[in-house]
Amino acid sequence: MGLSVFFPVLFRWLLRDRVIHAVLGVALFLVFLIPFFSTFSMRQVQELALTLSLSSISLVLLFLTVLLGGTSIWREVERRYTTSVLSLPVSRAGFVMGKFFGIAVFLVLCAVVLSLVCSIVLHFLVQAYPGERPILWQNYFLAVFADCFKYIMLTAVAVLLSSICTSYFLPLFGTVAVYFAGNASQEVHEYISGDFGNTLSAPLKLILNGVYYILPNLSAFNLKVQAIYGLPHDTSTYLYVPAYGIVYTGILLWLAVWRFSKRELP
Amino acid sequence: MIRRALPILLLCAYLAMAGPFAVYMKDRPVIVKLGYLPDASVLKGISGEYGNMVSAFSVVKVLFYFGTLFEKFNQQILVPPDYYNMFKTLEKAVLLDPYNMDAYYFMQSAFTWEVGHASDVNRVLEYGMKYRAWDYQLPFFAGFNSAYFLKDYSTAAAYMKRAAELSGNPLFTKLSARYFYEAGRTDLGLLFLNNMIKKEKDKQVRAVYETRKKALIGVREITAAVSRFRERNNRLPEDLRELTATGFLERIPSDPYGGIFYLDEKGIVRSTSKFAFASKNKKSVSSPEMN
Repeated sequence: MGLSVFFPVLFRWLLRDRVIHAVLGVALFLVFLIPFFSTFSMRQVQELALTLSLSSISLVLLFLTVLLGGTSIWREVERRYTTSVLSLPVSRAGFVMGKFFGIAVFLVLCAVVLSLVCSIVLHFLVQAYPGERPILWQNYFLAVFADCFKYIMLTAVAVLLSSICTSYFLPLFGTVAVYFAGNASQEVHEYISGDFGNTLSAPLKLILNGVYYILPNLSAFNLKVQAIYGLPHDTSTYLYVPAYGIVYTGILLWLAVWRFSKRELP
Repeated sequence: MIRRALPILLLCAYLAMAGPFAVYMKDRPVIVKLGYLPDASVLKGISGEYGNMVSAFSVVKVLFYFGTLFEKFNQQILVPPDYYNMFKTLEKAVLLDPYNMDAYYFMQSAFTWEVGHASDVNRVLEYGMKYRAWDYQLPFFAGFNSAYFLKDYSTAAAYMKRAAELSGNPLFTKLSARYFYEAGRTDLGLLFLNNMIKKEKDKQVRAVYETRKKALIGVREITAAVSRFRERNNRLPEDLRELTATGFLERIPSDPYGGIFYLDEKGIVRSTSKFAFASKNKKSVSSPEMN
């Protein structure tokens, strides 16, 4: 009990939110500018259009994740909505999970709408500027799906931070910090695994390796290069990336529920 | 009173400073115009999933910068391009996105004929071939550079063979055979330029190629006249005026780079412009990461 109550309420609220409408409106406007910007390329108009499309979708999803995830639970606690809501026969776990799934489904919906609009724009652009290699649409939609998965994982980070804090500061900036660190962690890990790593002390190397496994590895969900240049995927991508995402998100949600259940509410 | 006058005052102030501000922005140093990109490994970490986009924008920025310089050249304003910073920006773009064809293509266009950095460009092209393994254009460019600029004919033949295998185009097989001798260097250059012009849709880059083509046509015309003179008189002409005076050359062609054609002591056609838009930057520009 709880999830079935909070999920539809939050979802309906998101669909009516004017700020969200504005973000999506700007995103759709930018999508229609993609053909114009793409023609700046000398030899890869199609590739540049794909780069801009996928990056725009990713950026909008990032905004929505930070905006919705970062303001999800602490605001209800601060405004004391939780006091009245949780006096009803609903569980705290249901409250947290309802919030999470409401945002996650909304992100999926936005990704579907944006990727379909982009694909229509790309389809017409490719007629005018055909690339050397055809667009692999399955790679394109797979890249959007992976991005969506990544932001659902980041939403779990935001929900966890929201369930701990009493102000916007940590959920909002913490999520952004985790996003940047999670994107760079693989690069840093590979860098210290090379010659540079030999110059570091053993404890420092151990700490850096520990941080690498603790932080969400967001670069695993970046399948844009394969979509842009029509490159084949490694078959293990289909197994490891979703499995990692599901397990990591599960851990974060469990922590969020556990922490929120222990929390003393005003 | 003040409340009414303030917006008018602010508007007047804005209009008064808009002009000088635009001039200031236009005349900013090249490093500011091109922007500074941090080291590629740092940039890769910072840009994260937007690496492809940062790479694409870096190339567009360099292209815009080069385009404005070319326009100035056409207006007889000589501004030496900062080739070093341009190359570094493109090199970082390639390290961020090794599939970025625009970066390779622009390097080939701007850093071989103008600055004579064909070996640096070939190193970058070689790096790109590891990623764009299906693309015949990179070995084609590298093959042309090896033959035309570096005079390494065996390497050129190997690159052209690779281009022929990837494209299935017999033209590249024929080209690889041509690289074993130097005699047709100008013809080879024209063949390459015609191939590039045919495919080029960017106005500025196309204009750069057209200028180079015009210069090479001039060189070919004079070279043919020198050969005819030599055959008839068994010696080299003193200078180009002798060619026109004896009727071997109708008129001395004009150098589109603004220089004057002359003959060196071996009878090879040269120009005071050195066939470049501005003075050369001889500094080595390739980074060890590309090797």
